[in-house]
Amino acid sequence: MFVPHSNLDLNVIFDELNISSLSDLFNHIPDELLIKDGLDVDESLSELEATKYFEDIGNKNVSNLVCFAGGGHYDVYLPPTVKSLTMRPEFMTSYTPYQAEISQGILQVLFEFQSLVCDLTEMELANASLYDGATSVAEAISVAINKTKRDNIVISNGFNPNTKEVVNTLIDNAKFNLNYVPLSEYIFPEDYEFEESDAAFVVSFPHYEGSAQDLTNLVQKAQEKGVITICYVDPSMLGVLKTPGSMGFDIVVAEGQSIGTPLSFGGPTVGWFATKKDLARLVPGRIIGETIDNNHKKTYVMTLRAREQDIRREKASSNICTNQTLNAIGSAIHLSWMGPEGIYQVGYQAIQKASYMKAQLKEKGFNIINDESSLREFLVETKKPTDEILTEMGNRGFLAGIKYSDTQILIALTEKRTKNEIDNYVESFSEVNNG
Amino acid sequence: MVSGGNASSLPLVGGSSEPTIRELSRPGRRASKYPKLDVPEVDINHPAIKNEKAPLPEVSEHDLVMHYSRLAHRNFAVDLGFYPLGSCTMKYNPRFADYVASLNTYANTHPSTPAEFTQGSLEIINILEHYLTEITGMDYASFQPPAGASGELTGLLIIKKYLETKKLINKKDIIVPDSAHGTNPASARMAGFNVVEVSTDERGMVNIDDLRSLVNENTAGLMLTNPNTGGLFEEEILTLSKIIHDVGGLLYYDGANLNAIVGVCRPGDMGFDIVHSNLHKTFATPHGGGGPGSGPVAVKDYLKEYLPGPIVEKSDESYSWYTPKHSIGRMHGYHGNFLVALRALVYMKLLGKEGLETLGSYAVLNARYLSSKVSKYLPLAYDEPCMHEFVATVKNLKKSHKIKAYDVGKALLDKGFHSPTIYFPLIVDEALMFEPTETQTVETLDDLAESIKLIVEELTAPGVNLSDYPKNLPVGRPNELIPAKHLTVHWGDFELLELTE
Repeated sequence: MFVPHSNLDLNVIFDELNISSLSDLFNHIPDELLIKDGLDVDESLSELEATKYFEDIGNKNVSNLVCFAGGGHYDVYLPPTVKSLTMRPEFMTSYTPYQAEISQGILQVLFEFQSLVCDLTEMELANASLYDGATSVAEAISVAINKTKRDNIVISNGFNPNTKEVVNTLIDNAKFNLNYVPLSEYIFPEDYEFEESDAAFVVSFPHYEGSAQDLTNLVQKAQEKGVITICYVDPSMLGVLKTPGSMGFDIVVAEGQSIGTPLSFGGPTVGWFATKKDLARLVPGRIIGETIDNNHKKTYVMTLRAREQDIRREKASSNICTNQTLNAIGSAIHLSWMGPEGIYQVGYQAIQKASYMKAQLKEKGFNIINDESSLREFLVETKKPTDEILTEMGNRGFLAGIKYSDTQILIALTEKRTKNEIDNYVESFSEVNNG
Repeated sequence: MVSGGNASSLPLVGGSSEPTIRELSRPGRRASKYPKLDVPEVDINHPAIKNEKAPLPEVSEHDLVMHYSRLAHRNFAVDLGFYPLGSCTMKYNPRFADYVASLNTYANTHPSTPAEFTQGSLEIINILEHYLTEITGMDYASFQPPAGASGELTGLLIIKKYLETKKLINKKDIIVPDSAHGTNPASARMAGFNVVEVSTDERGMVNIDDLRSLVNENTAGLMLTNPNTGGLFEEEILTLSKIIHDVGGLLYYDGANLNAIVGVCRPGDMGFDIVHSNLHKTFATPHGGGGPGSGPVAVKDYLKEYLPGPIVEKSDESYSWYTPKHSIGRMHGYHGNFLVALRALVYMKLLGKEGLETLGSYAVLNARYLSSKVSKYLPLAYDEPCMHEFVATVKNLKKSHKIKAYDVGKALLDKGFHSPTIYFPLIVDEALMFEPTETQTVETLDDLAESIKLIVEELTAPGVNLSDYPKNLPVGRPNELIPAKHLTVHWGDFELLELTE
């Protein structure tokens, strides 16, 4: 099927190699290591059989739940145009563009991706992607540590718990102190005082709980102490939110799923990383630059390669090699498809729909915990244990949100949710809580 | 010479440059349309909100589609031609796997959906764990690591946590061959280990005497790929693993070269304790221009409780998430690159028992054949039977004609092939590393060898200007100094540079 050789081909190859069977290839491997009894796996399936096999397993997922969950991954409308362009085989089945002359397509799209990310966040230099939002936060913290040579990290507690777990894994807690600062009324305390020993100020915009604040003053206070400021932003809200650059941040990272990638059960998605040029040589991952070829023709090429693991080995800025290029391509095409008006609608409608939903829930007697400060995502108090509510709502066709605590659910709206879906949700939610 | 994907059907389009999407932008154009707001509009007055619109390109949908399609035409790919790219396993990626991965039942699930509603996806992970551990000779696997380098770091963090739990905190040395992939020392350093380099002997294998002299009570482990980066099977692997295990160290298998041994032998039987696999290499998921990959880590039974979690557990008829007791923690925000893992399982199911049992054999067969052909024109680095890849060297041509590995690689591009991996492994002078994979026909392999022959003739002819190569592609050799020096990394930068100079 995927091995093309006929018996005739095998004769040609065996003759060239002067062997008579495949097993002759392995005379140099110690006999005790060779597999004797085969592998304990099933016989092969034809595509027809495999279609049924994988459809049957897929159908064990309850996949038509109306999505009110966020936490970094959002059910934003992804047009088929973006999907089909991203899945063009020239993009999808190509390798990393080390050979610039035959990789101008990938290189230019990635260069556009970097430029678009910079324009959207008001930064100067973006890389060509990291694994996801969570690992991007950890990579940004590493940059801050390398830049400042300090060992204390001031990080907001208002992050997705999974992101915090990734940071805890990737930042060596024997060497560095991760100081999680609790939010106060769902806002990072404006009177927080930074120290000269702080390497980084890391904050989510909006916070995981959905509340947002203008972070300009905090950023300024941190920078006065020489602290590197890191903003984790919800990119699908950047049509309406203040840009991290305008608030003065040094580094911006994001979970880029909502721009160009389906929900995908969380992966593959894409991590965005953008910063100022003075941190260029500390940036993790690949960077594409614009240049000219030997005939003065516009050319794109991977650049600042001396930071990377294949050259610097143990002194590299990060160990990342394979990244999430295809998802970054999706981000570039989706951003270009949306344009300024589209991305504005995506953000604006999400906020409007959240306002409407909060009003409807309040009318049914529910307590919205961060009503005032929240935008598209907010916390609501349940009257029964949240696990029960999520199950009951699931049985009624809704992914009700994310469990925040035993009595609180985090609900997210996107431009995709209709008034009808919201009304039905509120109705069901009320029955489930009061039933 | 008639074969799929060679010089006769060079796929790339030359001509003038494609403008950027920003250059195509005109005020007022747009591709997107959204429904009218269907809820009552309220005033939004919030300190985090801005007034101005985001500065994104404004293009029509047709312009957008033409632009990105034209860019696609300027790119080489597995679907267009042959990548003999050593260490990268650029085999055919079955279309059918993309079909399965795009099914709504898998592709559009929110990652925080409770397990009771995602039983199908958990089952996929559970089945794949069985296939992967069976192939590698391990017991349990975590699919959190999104790529090979992340898998390496995972493995090292497992070693670290295991040693800490056993109170063996003096063990700080990770031994890495001088021929190893760059990610090995980079990952070891990230995990907080000292990197100790072991040399390679004349045959191209780990120098056992050197290893013995480096191993002591501080040895935490050895990172190794087998076959190694020279494409050679480490015949003394059982001795190597005994040396490491005797001092209480662990063996880590870098799965970059797993394709050579699928169905032939298993890292678990060689003494490895931890294995990462690159699903985007061995199990045929598309490379995507540099990613996404998937780098699951499989371990022997005694390390299960250290795996990054949560992992999938099966009980009676249902599947659930389980966080191992001594877990090193998460390596990814959710469940790793699930849709990549799904594609890998599709590939394994299509190959089935017979296909998987012969996978490594055919990969080695093609490499052995190609090495036999190529060696007629370029000397090989090692006089040993190769596995799934082999290293040739241009050092003689460098001496006689100042031709470098880089030049041969560039000239191959003109013939419609991707270049082999160049200058790797670092220990071979002017290295060209070829990995044909099992999906190429004998004609294509012949064509490549023939092209090497022609290139050697062409480049050694009098009056050749090496820097002219490649000649027939959308662009020639790039000036790599400009972006490195001037940081032209955003679409305003180059213009600005031209204005100021």
